[in-house]
Amino acid sequence: MGKWTRRAFIGTGGVLATGLVVGVAGNMYVSKAIKKYTGKGMGDGESLNAWIRIAPDNTITLAVARAEMGQGVYTSIPQLIAEELEVDMSRIKVVHPQPESPYANTFMMTQKEPNAFKGYNLMEKMLAFLPIIATGGSSSIPDAFTNMRTAGATAREMLKEAAAKEWGVKRSDCRAEDGYIINNSNGAKLSYGELATAARTVEIKDLPELKSKADWTLIGKPVQRIDLPEKVNGQAEFGIDVRLENMLFAAIRHSSTIGGKIISIDNQSDIENRKGVKKVVLTEFGAAVIADNTWRAKNAALALQVTEDDGGNAGINSADISKAFDKILESPPLAISEDEGDVDAILKGEGIIESTYEVPYLAHAAMEPLNCTVLVEDDKATAWVGHQGSSFVHSTLNAVSQIPKENIIVNTTLLGGAFGRRGEIDFVAKATAVAMTMKGTPVQTVFTREEDMQNDMYRPAAKSKFRAKVNDDGDIEAWDNMMALQSVSKSVTTRVAPAIAPSAEADEATSEGAAHLPYSMNNRKVSFGDYASPIPVGFWRSVGSSQNAFFTECFLDECAHAVGKDPFAFRRDKLNDHPRFKAVLEKVAEISNWGNVGENTYQGIALHKSFGSIVGQVAQITKVGEKQFSIDQFYSAIDCGNYVNPDTVEAQIEGGIVFGLSAALYGEITWSDGAVNEMNFPQYDMVKMNVSPRVQVHIMDVDEYPGGVGEPGTPPAAPALANAIFAATGERLRSLPLKNHGYSFI
Amino acid sequence: MKLNINGTEKEVNVEESMPLLWVLRDELNMTGTKYGCGVSYCGACSVMIDGIATRTCTLPVSAVVGKEITTIEGVSNDGNLTAVQRAWIQHQVPQCGYCQSGQILAAEALLDEIPEPTDSDIDAKMTNICRCGTYQRVRDAIHSAAKMRMQEAELLD
Ligand code: FES
Ligand code: FES
Repeated sequence: MGKWTRRAFIGTGGVLATGLVVGVAGNMYVSKAIKKYTGKGMGDGESLNAWIRIAPDNTITLAVARAEMGQGVYTSIPQLIAEELEVDMSRIKVVHPQPESPYANTFMMTQKEPNAFKGYNLMEKMLAFLPIIATGGSSSIPDAFTNMRTAGATAREMLKEAAAKEWGVKRSDCRAEDGYIINNSNGAKLSYGELATAARTVEIKDLPELKSKADWTLIGKPVQRIDLPEKVNGQAEFGIDVRLENMLFAAIRHSSTIGGKIISIDNQSDIENRKGVKKVVLTEFGAAVIADNTWRAKNAALALQVTEDDGGNAGINSADISKAFDKILESPPLAISEDEGDVDAILKGEGIIESTYEVPYLAHAAMEPLNCTVLVEDDKATAWVGHQGSSFVHSTLNAVSQIPKENIIVNTTLLGGAFGRRGEIDFVAKATAVAMTMKGTPVQTVFTREEDMQNDMYRPAAKSKFRAKVNDDGDIEAWDNMMALQSVSKSVTTRVAPAIAPSAEADEATSEGAAHLPYSMNNRKVSFGDYASPIPVGFWRSVGSSQNAFFTECFLDECAHAVGKDPFAFRRDKLNDHPRFKAVLEKVAEISNWGNVGENTYQGIALHKSFGSIVGQVAQITKVGEKQFSIDQFYSAIDCGNYVNPDTVEAQIEGGIVFGLSAALYGEITWSDGAVNEMNFPQYDMVKMNVSPRVQVHIMDVDEYPGGVGEPGTPPAAPALANAIFAATGERLRSLPLKNHGYSFI
Repeated sequence: MKLNINGTEKEVNVEESMPLLWVLRDELNMTGTKYGCGVSYCGACSVMIDGIATRTCTLPVSAVVGKEITTIEGVSNDGNLTAVQRAWIQHQVPQCGYCQSGQILAAEALLDEIPEPTDSDIDAKMTNICRCGTYQRVRDAIHSAAKMRMQEAELLD
């Protein structure tokens, strides 16, 4: 690895800090900035606090420092603010602010999943790097739920106080209604726009009380998305759409083996003579061609003749990886996450159910290929990029360009999908290094689809070996799950913050969703073996749950069938200690009319909790030919506590299921001699309209703190489908993708 | 080369082999048409050429000289959203939105050809990838747009 790859890219606290305390967990940043804010996050002009600006013409601009990647956060966070501010959503405009400390996502770092491993917790370690301004882990709403309502309520009180002074009455004699402060005694009113300037200097001593749930008029309502009008007329600006004066385009030529290096370019002058090509550069990460047009740049990059060093990784092959997993499964575990009772004593002799499950590496393949635009000037650097972590972008520009932090601007655009990939900093670092060679000229570095797919930070492959005993009453006497996994946290930290990389600890991120299952079991053990590999792995929508739900929910199905029990009843009977899980399971059975389907139609069920939300799903499929099915319908119930926008919740479940099905049916990244075989969508296919099921979603009415919704819809999709196929064929499919078992879907 | 894009004539000076996609995006700064795969597979780069939905990432610009090119920026009339665009909002179709220019162009072309498409017509004609998985809403919005278009046609009669 080159020297820049060893730097701590996630940076240290105090990004454009506004004098706030750094390193304090919780919402210190927020509560301070709510009361007094002097930063520049929202750009020029005066604002009431770090999130709210009201112009004299009554336009309301809100700062949303979470990446809009399709999950609707540019609407749901404004709903929280507007609920307390008492304004109509139609008047709201959203800006994405600069990465300042008030916008830190502290929930992401402090949440603890009770079903996670007791091991290395990357998020906890990241607390050392506060403030981190990032979007991920389905954390935007849980982080914002109290903070943003408080920001709205405080601004409202500031406006009330300003009006009260104007009228010579008490604040308590005024009320806020639809963008006006009204004098209770005489009905006089002043608009927010008229009051905003005076309100800015008001200081509110105590944070106001928040409305009770019964009084909500926006939270829990299907408000229309703010960002959709420009997403239907071509005006929405994604990172790849940024156009600046004199801008150039760069294409990268990565080494052909993962972790390899391009040592020299052998036809540089030929390529530099091509039409439109401005420069060919060799940086530490690979070669790049800078041209006046993306197409010219990418063709030129393909035509480069290069000499490479394979980095010692030319021996990576998929077949060997699977064998390495087998070896780990037969070796003593690295860590035991859960060990209740005496599993080994029970799992002896006759009647043991034993199965091994496996999944491959997966690419993120967001629809918008990776890109980042950077302008480096003498002592200033500016980025335009769709990224999940604006503070990571900020510290990466600083690390690569050595330009002081206070002279770095990060413009966050819309994201054409992210799924975890756009939280990585590799493409930002590369774009910055390229722009460093063209000072004064903005350069947009774009990965081709092929470069994007072959230089991902993949969802790791994994293998799990289960052994269980179930008695005739259907009780699980013993459950043993030994997992062979590659640590996501280790791979991520090695890339961006080597100082906090785990040594030999079990990784919570990769193993989440496997331990502390809600089902009652008399004895249980879950253990973990570490697969060390130079293959870069990263966070992929639902992370460890993306495979562990498939493993555990399919093996549970095996246990049910082994004793002739109905898979729904078998699960339900084990959930008496977990009423929220039980309610979700019963609801999805009810809406799917479980067990009552027509001829040739089959159902499969799965239940899984991730990111604070419980999701139950039933897949309903029809047999149309030999090993050929139509995936007619998915039913899904979700308990995500209090929800902000039910239409967005439904959309995330609908999309999460399709995402899970693409992986289940087709998804597979394979390795030959250190390189990825799949190049583009024809080899790494996606579910399309003809295969996509209808989805019916039921959101449970539960008055609890919100859970996430961006990821929890994905994990149950694959096991629900595989369980339905078992119901139809009697064939237990223990590895993904299903195309490798000869199944096809229409 | 002279191109007719959204009813306006544009002059471009590029290689004949440059795909229309990159002429639109990088030469004319019309970025509504998206790059997704570059191999005519995902549909993100769809525009209408003489009324037919066409993928532009492998289509040489020389092949469209003299033809009518309609991009997402030009589907609506004087800023009035088409029935398809309105149905897209009504059903809150887009998530990230990146594929949606292509989805909308494909849907417009489908409804021009088959005013009242069945689900299997939609399965056959809507082959664009949406990584966010908005297919159910795309389907529902197409059915709604078909109704809106017919009502509008009746009003015009
Ligand atoms: S970009 Fe043209 S079909 Fe994918
Ligand atoms: S809306 Fe994101 S790819 Fe379709």
